[in-house]
Amino acid sequence: MAHAAATDHLETSTGIDNRKLLMWLFLASDCLLFGSLIAAYLLYRGRSVVGPYPEDLFDIPFTSVSAFILLMSSVTMVLALAAIQRGNVRNMRIWIFTTAVLGTLFIAGQVFEFTEFNHEGLSLSTNLFGTTFFVLTGFHGAHVTVGVLILMSLFVVSMRGGIQQKDSLAVELAGLYWHFVDIVWIVIFTLVYLIQP
Amino acid sequence: MSSIAVPKRSPLSEALKGARHAAADYGSIWSWIATVDHKRIGILYGISAFVFFVVGGVEALLLRVQLAQPDSSFLDPDAYNRLFTMHGTTMVFLVVMPMSSAFFNLLVPLMIGARDVAFPRLNAFSFWTFLAGAIFLNASFFTGDILSGDLGAPDGGWFGYAPLNLREFTPGHGMDFWMLGLQMFGIASLAGGFNFIVTILNMRAPGMTLFRMPVFVWMTLVTSFLIIFAMPVIAVALVELTFDRLFDANFFNAAAGGNPLLWQHMFWLFGHPEVYILILPAFGIISAILPTFSRKPLFGYAFVVFSGIAIGFMSWGVWVHHMFTTGLGTVANSAFGITTILIAVPTGVKVFNWMATLWGGSIRFRTPLMFAVGTVAMFTIGGLSGVTHSMVPSDYQQQDSYYVVAHFHYVLFGGAIMALFGGVYYWFPKFTGRLMNEGLGHLHFWLMLIGFNLTFFPMHISGLLGMPRRIYTYNSDMGWDLWNLMSTVGAFLIAVSVLVFLFNFFRSLRRGEESGPDPWDARTLEWSIPSPPPEYNFKEIPTVTSRDDFWHQKYREDETGRIVPVLAGGAVDDEAPEHETEGEHGHGIHMPSPSYMPLIASAGFPVVATGLIYDYALVPVGFALILIGLFGWVLEPATEEE
Amino acid sequence: MLRVGAVKRPFTGFQLRRLGRFIPLLALLALFALFLSGCDTDTPQNTFDPKGEVADKQADVFYWAMWPAIAIMILVLGGLLIIMLRFRERDPKHIPPQLHGNTRLELAWTIAPVILLLAIGIPMVATVFELGREPSEDAFRVNVIAQRFTWEFQYPEYTDEDGTPLSVFDQSGFHIPAGREVAFYLESVDVIHSFWLPKLGGKLDVIPGQVNVLWLRADEPGSFSGQCAEFCGLNHANMTMTVIAQPQAELDAWAAEMLE
Repeated sequence: MAHAAATDHLETSTGIDNRKLLMWLFLASDCLLFGSLIAAYLLYRGRSVVGPYPEDLFDIPFTSVSAFILLMSSVTMVLALAAIQRGNVRNMRIWIFTTAVLGTLFIAGQVFEFTEFNHEGLSLSTNLFGTTFFVLTGFHGAHVTVGVLILMSLFVVSMRGGIQQKDSLAVELAGLYWHFVDIVWIVIFTLVYLIQP
Repeated sequence: MSSIAVPKRSPLSEALKGARHAAADYGSIWSWIATVDHKRIGILYGISAFVFFVVGGVEALLLRVQLAQPDSSFLDPDAYNRLFTMHGTTMVFLVVMPMSSAFFNLLVPLMIGARDVAFPRLNAFSFWTFLAGAIFLNASFFTGDILSGDLGAPDGGWFGYAPLNLREFTPGHGMDFWMLGLQMFGIASLAGGFNFIVTILNMRAPGMTLFRMPVFVWMTLVTSFLIIFAMPVIAVALVELTFDRLFDANFFNAAAGGNPLLWQHMFWLFGHPEVYILILPAFGIISAILPTFSRKPLFGYAFVVFSGIAIGFMSWGVWVHHMFTTGLGTVANSAFGITTILIAVPTGVKVFNWMATLWGGSIRFRTPLMFAVGTVAMFTIGGLSGVTHSMVPSDYQQQDSYYVVAHFHYVLFGGAIMALFGGVYYWFPKFTGRLMNEGLGHLHFWLMLIGFNLTFFPMHISGLLGMPRRIYTYNSDMGWDLWNLMSTVGAFLIAVSVLVFLFNFFRSLRRGEESGPDPWDARTLEWSIPSPPPEYNFKEIPTVTSRDDFWHQKYREDETGRIVPVLAGGAVDDEAPEHETEGEHGHGIHMPSPSYMPLIASAGFPVVATGLIYDYALVPVGFALILIGLFGWVLEPATEEE
Repeated sequence: MLRVGAVKRPFTGFQLRRLGRFIPLLALLALFALFLSGCDTDTPQNTFDPKGEVADKQADVFYWAMWPAIAIMILVLGGLLIIMLRFRERDPKHIPPQLHGNTRLELAWTIAPVILLLAIGIPMVATVFELGREPSEDAFRVNVIAQRFTWEFQYPEYTDEDGTPLSVFDQSGFHIPAGREVAFYLESVDVIHSFWLPKLGGKLDVIPGQVNVLWLRADEPGSFSGQCAEFCGLNHANMTMTVIAQPQAELDAWAAEMLE
């Protein structure tokens, strides 16, 4: 990052870079955030008093495609990191951009899905399904959006020559975040869409 | 990632440079606003927490005046409900937590031999976000028509149970301020939690293994882990409440099939670790004070550390004890009854370790020690009443009565607050270079101890006599009159003791006896540097060879096994060098530059929150502020440009 | 200049004399003694004056914890006092032996509390199950409806010609049979309340969307005071009730009269 603290140049007691440790801690904490939202969804599953219900609305093939897109974006993210670690700035830029595009596609898919469900009569206030579904997937979508912003910021900085091989940590941290968001989606997709009681 | 400098010599860069110059002038207010120095941030936290302690205390006094007599009309029920909501919320989130943060900030880097925390600007961000939340929450008082006694403050209790917390039952904006303000505290605490974990794990001086760290640092570490895992849970609960109140969602709407108990489960899943977040720092302070004033090491360091870690884990398995009367069933209640009984063990064991630390010592009755011993005594009483709560069938009588109020005030006031005061008296010389007055300190202690017991011990009795919590009045044939009157008298005695403290504090700042670096002949690293410490803390990062390393620099065992002073051991008594002025980096040590960006980012939160309550147009403005602050933070240059 | 950290003598302006130090302690002890006098009052909601089997067993459970707690409190507080006196500093230069710990002792004082706690914990769990059982088959049933800020009792056993159960509010008096198990079926129409009749037993919350069941028994006829114990809004303090237990025959007569 831009700011070099007085302590940056020292060895850390654990050997892990401060910023990497921070990212891991943040992701561990974020697990509890999503865990609580997922728990609320699961606790309320099957208890909506009125419809529409999940089985009326879910389009598994469609959502599977968007899940696949997000999964692929993790692959491109890995490729971006591998590139910058080898010193290949140009390729890193390409892969980061691609990752951001795939993430945006995923968001577009979410927006489409939400709009469809809404047209079918599902909103936050309709029933428990609407409440828990929109808040859970909405928070995930917000996380993805933030991720896209981070990626595009890295892209812009890189365009000005601001990311070289020695700066690969920044890409690595963005990658950690991105993979986390992807894994959360795998959990949500499985529990919410695929496994029906 | 290297910095993206704003193009040189543009008007914007000139303005930014001017702002940075102002911040670098160490005595100026701008330097406080832009500070990223952990010691200054600690002081900012400490002052804020104390101001809110007085605010919360006044709220309590008003409640006590109302309850001093049966059928009193000093406060109407609406005002009463808002005041007790704010009193609880203030004391937990605006007093004990930030005061603990003050101590983390002031002490942790010094105790581990570091120059600052891992992320100084994140540290500043924590403080400003906390302050933004505190001001935002208290601003709610003024959203009603305060002059006619209509307070706009939240009125759902500090615990805000559903479905009472929904708009249907608690209309008005008070609860909105509450739920959004609490989110800000959550963000501030989370940031602090991350920062201190990284600092403690990564920035220890050479030779300082985890088991050579002072117990206070261990408690900070455990507390920080509890924070980063507990705060997200309440954040989600508050998000769910926000969606219910603002967007008609159904999380707690029983008519739609929602379960009000979901709120309680989430609140207490957070809430129980939270009470350990509130008390563990106090345990750390006691574990620092007692050895110093007994002149022997903490008895059973490993046990005390492991019991702290055990509490960290076990605190996740007891939350239902706040819900024994909700009808969850015999199996759930029994299981959590047993886990609650068992958590008394690691908590209680410490009391024996502390007593054994004093045993065989050479005890000096200085003010910090009085408070430390008082804490141990009061916390023991509170812990024991907690054990009676864990006896589930008897808790069915105690729950939601004044017996609970007695219990948690014994552990939170008698435990946490008294320890925090002890810490102030103990470390005041380190950060000001002056001692607080001993006579006044003792007076404060005794007035507070007597006042505290007079206030809260009778509540055990009124609770067992069937007085429920959160009632604005009661009638005279209940037999509660005398106990309530005693509590009110005690409360005013506490207030007097706080005034004594304030007088002592300000007087000592100006005229206190000079302390030198090590007035108490203490054991840990912070006492080895000048008082107050220079900006860079240590001229040279020390190499640590044992626990209580500073003590071992001062004393060694001679051939007969007696403890004798080491010649030339001890603190460096240099005058603190001139603060670094612009352009000079004394001793060649580069300290992190001040920054306004954390404050700018923090300022966005109350704007977003106000927007959510009053006018959605403000929401993007708030987010823009946050983004500007964040981008500025990430992009600003590492060092000042000349 | 380097010097060994020295302790400065404190400023003695307000310092209490040696013996005078004990005056505040004595004041505290006097207060404690005064407080203990609270245990015997005959007041309307005194949980130490159980009038029913449930309250009685719950009070017993409390005593199982209270006496050991008082003993430990005396041990710790007394111990602290003795330690402070015995080991106070006599020679400012004296540094005592630097004891670091004693593993056996620490293990002992960890294990001993566990044993003590389990000793009271296990019978406690037994009581949870004993008191938490389903109401017996021949319990007298009352449906309690809680709303802000009043209680309502409905009696399915007393119905009028149309089959509507008798419904009363506090002004008419809540009546129950004495000497017989009463099962309270608790419902709320709005927020969470809590049903508490301290002399008959501990409370149970009343939660919208579910029915919680509480069984109690009044040993003798009498009048019992209770109130809502879960903050429910503005008038929470006034959501009180008086429950009158009377012999079954008198209860039936009362109900018949109410139904007219």
